[in-house]
Formats: sequence, structure tokens, C-alpha cells
Amino acid sequence: MDEIALHILDIAMNAVTAGARRLEIAVHEDHERDRLEVRVADDGKGMDAEQLRRVLEQFASDKSGRRHPIGLGLALLEQTAEACGGQMRVASRPGRGTEVAAWMRLSHVDRPPLGDLKDTVFALCVGAPDVDMALTYRRNGWTARFGSAAVRRELGPGQSLQSPVGLRAVRRALLGVPDS
Amino acid sequence: MKLSELQEWRERAARGISVRGEQKDWRIVVSMGTSGIAAGAREVMRALMDEIERQELENVEVALTGSLGMDDVEPVLRVERAGETIVYGNLDPDAARRIVTEHIRQGRKVERYVIGLPKEKE
Repeated sequence: MDEIALHILDIAMNAVTAGARRLEIAVHEDHERDRLEVRVADDGKGMDAEQLRRVLEQFASDKSGRRHPIGLGLALLEQTAEACGGQMRVASRPGRGTEVAAWMRLSHVDRPPLGDLKDTVFALCVGAPDVDMALTYRRNGWTARFGSAAVRRELGPGQSLQSPVGLRAVRRALLGVPDS
Repeated sequence: MKLSELQEWRERAARGISVRGEQKDWRIVVSMGTSGIAAGAREVMRALMDEIERQELENVEVALTGSLGMDDVEPVLRVERAGETIVYGNLDPDAARRIVTEHIRQGRKVERYVIGLPKEKE
């Protein structure tokens, strides 16, 4: 993954396939503390400790030739975070949901760029319109927020996020979110 | 029916807007697992939605799914209509725009990107 925003999309897709109704994404570029923090939380079906251990140990233990097992995105994000002087933590409970939190050094030479966060959120909220999606992006003192529930309210009943009118509304709501 | 209504109806039909207004005629499922994302599925999705918006298509439903298990030909998407399913692979944004225009608007498969067509007998 050559963008943080693509890692986020991958983790968020785990939430979508886990049947999440609500998905929260938070990104914080903290230049003062030289940290990039990413958090993805959902209320999907979650994992027990054993499932989580298997997902995270894929690179260490899975040499069996299974190439792209479910949840590979978590192992990839962990690898990126650790390569950039940070770490990733996952908290998950069956039936409750999963929270993934990763941080890395902003100034690390290997850190991928943030990338197109706007397109990541656009793909998710349009492609999984039943999931209530919220994004908070903070950079130093500045904050941009997006919520698909607010867009749906603005559209009113009977107008889908996937209709031309809905797509335009989503784009307008995403104006403050960075795309590079 | 007044002439103006008839024109409106014709225009909507020409743009593919469902005149019944319930179930959408077309469904596109985009593979958005790890390998798809790494191969450019997000950009394909974006091009797809841009084109649906630009052409004012109301009768297409789009959904994301985890990997469809076709890692070698990602980005992959599936076009479904009335029981018929076509799988497209090795896509890029331009291919996605062609699928909207040629397959969905004009009813013509974009053969170059079709995956898993039955092999012809030699």
C-alpha cells in the first residue's frame, strides 16, 4: 500500500464485511509530536483473541501458500507502522466490534504519504451506503469532519447516496477532507 | 399524457432512469479487498461513480465486497442484470468508464476486459 489512505480503506473494508452499522475513522497529523495517528473503529461482528492472533501472525506463520487471506490488511498496516517507528494495536470483542489504532513517525523516511483520504471516504460511503460513516481529520489545530448520516438527512428519504444528486451531496460534504 | 410529459418520460428512459422507480435494473459489485485496493480498485470505483453521475444514471446500484478471490486479475468488478453476470478484470479508470457507457448504456459488453468467458472449442 503506497498511501495511508489505502491502508485505511483496507481496514475499513474489514469492518464493512464484518457487518458494521457504524464506522468511525480518525486521522491526526500531529507535527508537534511528530506523530501520524490513525484509528478505525466499528461495531461489526468482532474477533476473539485466537482469531485476532491468527490475523496478526500471518506474515510470521502463514507460509502455507494462502496468499491473500481475510484480514491481511491488518498485518500490512502493522508492518508499515512498525517500519515507521510506531506501532499498531487492535482491540476486538466478538459481537461488539473492532478498534484498530496505529501511529507512526510523521518524519520517518519510509512513511507513505497520507494520500487521497477524500476518495477513500467517498468509495466507502457510496459503496456501503447502509453503514453510518464518520471521519475526523485533524492536522495541528485544524479539524475537518464528515458524516454520511448528515448527508442522508440533507437528501431526505427516497434519495440514495448513489444517485447523481446523492453523489454530488457526498462530494460537497467532503470538500474539507484532504485528497493528497 | 401531455407532450411535455411524454418528452420527459422519453428523456428519462433514454438516460436509463428507472420509470418504475423501485428495484434498480443494474447492479455493479466492486472487489475491494487488499489485493484489489493495491491494484487500483479505489480509482476504478471513483471513475465508475463519476461516470454514473456525469451520465445521470439512476438505475445502477453499486456495492463493495471483500476479495472475490481473483487476485491475479484485480481490479475486478461484476456487472449483474436480470440473472446475467459478467465479470470484468484488469481494470483501470478508463475501462470503468467504458463499462458504464458501453455495457450499461448501450448494452454491449466490453470484451477486452471480460474474465472467465467460456473457452471456444478448438
